[in-house]
Amino acid sequence: MNILQVNNVTKAYVNHLALDNVSLEVREGEIFGLLGPNGAGKTTLIRMINQITAPDSGEIMLYGNRIKASDVSLIGYLPEERGLYKKMKAGEQAIYLAELKGVKPSVAEAKLREWFEKFDIIGWWDKKVEELSKGMQQKIQFITTVLHEPKLLIFDEPFSGFDPINANMLKQEIISLKAKGATVIFSTHNMESVEEICDSIVLIDKAKNILQGSVRDIKQNFKSNEYEIIVPSGIENFDMLLPEGCSLLRSENNGDTDVHILKIEKGKNAQLLGNILQVADIVSYREVLPTMNDIFIKTVQGYE
Amino acid sequence: MNKIKIIIKREYLTRVRKKSFLVMTILGPLLISALWVIPIFLSQATDSQSNIIVVDGTGVKEKDAAPLFEGKLRSDKNVKIEYMNDLDKAKLLLKEGSTEAVLSITRINGMPPIKSFWYHGDNEINALAMQDIETQISTLFKDYYLKYNCGVSDSAIAFINNPKVDFYSENINTGERTFREIKMVLGVALGFMIYFFIFLFGSQVIRSVSEEKMNRIVEVLVSSIKPTQLLIGKLVGIALVGLTQFLLWIVLTFAVVTAVQNAMPERFASVQQGKITMNEQIANAEQLSEPTNDNPDIIQGLFSINYSVVIGCFLFFFITGYFLYGSLFGAVGSLIDVDTDGQQFTLPITIPLIIAMVCLPTIMNNPSGPMAFWLSIIPFTSPIIMMMRIPFGVPGWQILLSAGLMLITIWGSVWMSAKIYRTAILLYGKKITYKEIWKWLRFKN
Repeated sequence: MNILQVNNVTKAYVNHLALDNVSLEVREGEIFGLLGPNGAGKTTLIRMINQITAPDSGEIMLYGNRIKASDVSLIGYLPEERGLYKKMKAGEQAIYLAELKGVKPSVAEAKLREWFEKFDIIGWWDKKVEELSKGMQQKIQFITTVLHEPKLLIFDEPFSGFDPINANMLKQEIISLKAKGATVIFSTHNMESVEEICDSIVLIDKAKNILQGSVRDIKQNFKSNEYEIIVPSGIENFDMLLPEGCSLLRSENNGDTDVHILKIEKGKNAQLLGNILQVADIVSYREVLPTMNDIFIKTVQGYE
Repeated sequence: MNKIKIIIKREYLTRVRKKSFLVMTILGPLLISALWVIPIFLSQATDSQSNIIVVDGTGVKEKDAAPLFEGKLRSDKNVKIEYMNDLDKAKLLLKEGSTEAVLSITRINGMPPIKSFWYHGDNEINALAMQDIETQISTLFKDYYLKYNCGVSDSAIAFINNPKVDFYSENINTGERTFREIKMVLGVALGFMIYFFIFLFGSQVIRSVSEEKMNRIVEVLVSSIKPTQLLIGKLVGIALVGLTQFLLWIVLTFAVVTAVQNAMPERFASVQQGKITMNEQIANAEQLSEPTNDNPDIIQGLFSINYSVVIGCFLFFFITGYFLYGSLFGAVGSLIDVDTDGQQFTLPITIPLIIAMVCLPTIMNNPSGPMAFWLSIIPFTSPIIMMMRIPFGVPGWQILLSAGLMLITIWGSVWMSAKIYRTAILLYGKKITYKEIWKWLRFKN
């Protein structure tokens, strides 16, 4: 089932078109990556899902119904530009933000204390935020995003500004939120994290949805029959071993071994491997799938 | 609605619990009381008395006429007078430094027939003391002249010196007396309070809005609550802080003044005594009019004011004035970011307030003239100017017109500010121009 559906959404600002007839869907329980270059319209889309701005046309559906004001309690949002009141005490501030999401103060306090314990910042409960380190502030921001146990979590560039330890913690928390049944949307430039944790993605560029699907499918679609073969160095006339339909793209010597990148047509693998095995052992042989980073760059450049 | 309450609560509590709120609450009444108490203390300070030796050489030995001024110049809070016959001796004392100045008065041929010389050491003579004595001498000389050269009676001279003529004015329709001065004081005080309140708490709105934008917490907030609700909650919260503070000031000022008066009754009693004796002197001198006393006038004047109208209008213009400017200040606050300040946007908004204050004297001279009328109708100056006019009595239709325009303008300004606010708070690191704001306002959502 789709938790979120964006249907033909268009949004124009004074000087430019931010989203042009964008549609996408997010299945319940998945981790969904919202990718795109800067200024593509990701934040605009996220703000519309959070009802901070409204689409000019099109609609946004949550659980099959048009999104409405009371749905804010179902959504947890960590914006790209995020911060806290510097002069307010950490605990008090977290309760305030939870209250705005519709959590009763007494309930909020009990839950917050648990989270503060978990993240080892309970000693800072009564300290002003300005006295906390940046890492601690990020922890509080994360806690206030998830405290009301939203069904849908939206993280806009969550890894920017996080130190490696906190970034890793965030990654683990996102995975554990998914395990508990939450759906997570996050926009990022960090393609490694996309490969690691995303189930599906959408790629937005110049206000348009230009690529969408599960990470696995997309990788399959973008593969170009490239293989990497590693053999002991010193094979003479390696070219001669290639059957018809195979071509050598590039080679590299790594001391004891040679790494060759080949383009191999379907059905020629067996012949190639047979040829090589006659003269040498094969150290490693694998298909080279494009990285999300490659796909991202290729698609965006191709689109432009 | 419930969420607006949460916003109001936070805005109110965080401010009221601040140290600066406590400091302002205590300092405010002290400053206001000081304005009232210090002049009384200063007027009684005696340490500025100058010692002056007067050598009066106006006596004419041959005619056996006594000197004109000897024994007649009075010592007071500015001067302490001693008389001597020998000028040289007096000068010697001056050189020794045991007196501040020597005044030698001599008779000459001519008109006026006296001439005075001041002698002083390295320090110049206290100007107040000089002026004091010179006035006394001139008055005494005038009295002599009137008495001996013109044959005017003592009582007539006393009257000439204090020709207090009372002027009464009354409204021909109601037959009531008008008390211009009292109304002026009240009008200016009320206008000032509104001006002060708008500036003090309007600037808090700017700071509060821009702080949320610069902290980058605003986007988290507006994902839970509509920007307009956030702005309204903020305006109401700060207004309540302002009202709390004003209420505390009024109560504390009253308490401080009463306490000071009770602690040192003799000082204040003497001030009042002084006033009364002066009034008595005047009253005795004037045979032509009935003797009157100031105090009943003030009380009568204060009673002549329609307080239900004054208080009602004050509350109305106090609150609407704040909301009009507060909403605009909110929009200005949303335009401020870490690297841009809001000066260029604040100035145009504060100009009407400044105009109102600059026009104050003109309006006080003619509280129902065209300038007063227009400025009390135009919404941006009306909270201050209308309040200044109210004690003088303003026709009902003018108050209603002004109030109606005010409400319409507030509606417009809140609408406009909300539009600017909700766009600008999410615009980071971008310099915003007037042209851009104009586009936002015309842009349909």
